[in-house]
Amino acid sequence: MTFKTRFILGSALLAMAGAALPAFAHHAFSAEFDGDQPVVVKGVVTKLELTNPHSWLYLDVKGPDGKVTNWGFEFGAPFSLKEKGVNKQTFAPGTEITVAGFRAKNGRDFGYAVTTTLSDGRSFKTGGAQDAPADPPAGAAKAN
Amino acid sequence: MKTQKVLHSRMQSVTVLVTLFLLVMGNGVMAGEKIPRLPNGKPDFSGIWQTTSAADYDLEPHSNRKDAPPGPGIVDGNVIPYLPKALEQKKKNFEARATLDPAQRGWTLGVPRAIYYPEPFQIFERAEDLNIVPQFGHSVRTIHTNRTDHPLDPNDWWLGDSRGHWEGDTLVVDVKDFNDKTWLDRAGNFHSDALHVVERWKFIDVNTLEYKATLDDPQVYSRPWTITVLLDRHREKNFQLIEDYRYTLDYEQFYPPKPAQQ
Repeated sequence: MTFKTRFILGSALLAMAGAALPAFAHHAFSAEFDGDQPVVVKGVVTKLELTNPHSWLYLDVKGPDGKVTNWGFEFGAPFSLKEKGVNKQTFAPGTEITVAGFRAKNGRDFGYAVTTTLSDGRSFKTGGAQDAPADPPAGAAKAN
Repeated sequence: MKTQKVLHSRMQSVTVLVTLFLLVMGNGVMAGEKIPRLPNGKPDFSGIWQTTSAADYDLEPHSNRKDAPPGPGIVDGNVIPYLPKALEQKKKNFEARATLDPAQRGWTLGVPRAIYYPEPFQIFERAEDLNIVPQFGHSVRTIHTNRTDHPLDPNDWWLGDSRGHWEGDTLVVDVKDFNDKTWLDRAGNFHSDALHVVERWKFIDVNTLEYKATLDDPQVYSRPWTITVLLDRHREKNFQLIEDYRYTLDYEQFYPPKPAQQ
């Protein structure tokens, strides 16, 4: 079973378990996210929230059964994103994106975004945590 | 005939008096009282202010409950015009207020809640801006009065973005670009990130401000609605703000760092 399949199965199960709310506290990567659980998620942006201390991006992800789950990914602080050329227009609602990052420790539908890629190929390092794993996850590869 | 004439003349006097009274009241300040002003002539709101109302417990009229004193409410028309779906959310918020209220978690109060939260806040005013520092929470809100407009590339700020201008002696402030993480009171009244607030600040007398705020949010309310609250100046000797950062309390046991156990 590939990671992707496991991931999709997992997210379908989670969707049935009900929606989850991300926590909003200011924290280190390791406090909330699991460096051993890389995820790659493709979907359509529903909201980019440019809020201190962490921004959040929400996207609708369609499962193999057609069921749509709304995922949340933690981004860096608004100012650091702007330094990288990211603003609200970059990830406007309706934009198709692929997010590579790490899943929350509690296994819910949110995670930490390391890299976010637009359908035209433009890619942004959107994470801001200093203790996050440096390399973007490569699918099933285990981040050590 | 004579009686009628006297009556008419009396009525005229009354009209003149009423007109004078309205003119004086309309100006915001009782006759003869001098409000503090900046060198540029604008009213100077600098000072420490606080409401005596029970607005933060519930903006709408409410009787007492275990966790709140009663209050007549500060909403014009008494009722917040929620859209049906939003009203359901408000009811859920109310039921879970002990755990969900952002203020109970020590978060930034937001706008307008920081104004009628039952703790003092201080205004520092200059020609180009006013800075508001609430005692509760770790925030400083700047109202720009330098004729600048909202940024074209906004964030979703906890306090929104405030741009003010003077209409006579009334400061009118336009606030938008909020996030949706703050509440309006501890009864679960809330807003979305589409909230738009227009505030009107003016002196009633040298020690009293009238604060009005009109809230518009097409995702949550069916029409704009307005709150009015009076703010009293703290005049106690040596009164000052004392920091009230609730979210640091859990960490106080670690400070100052203790020597390592041998």
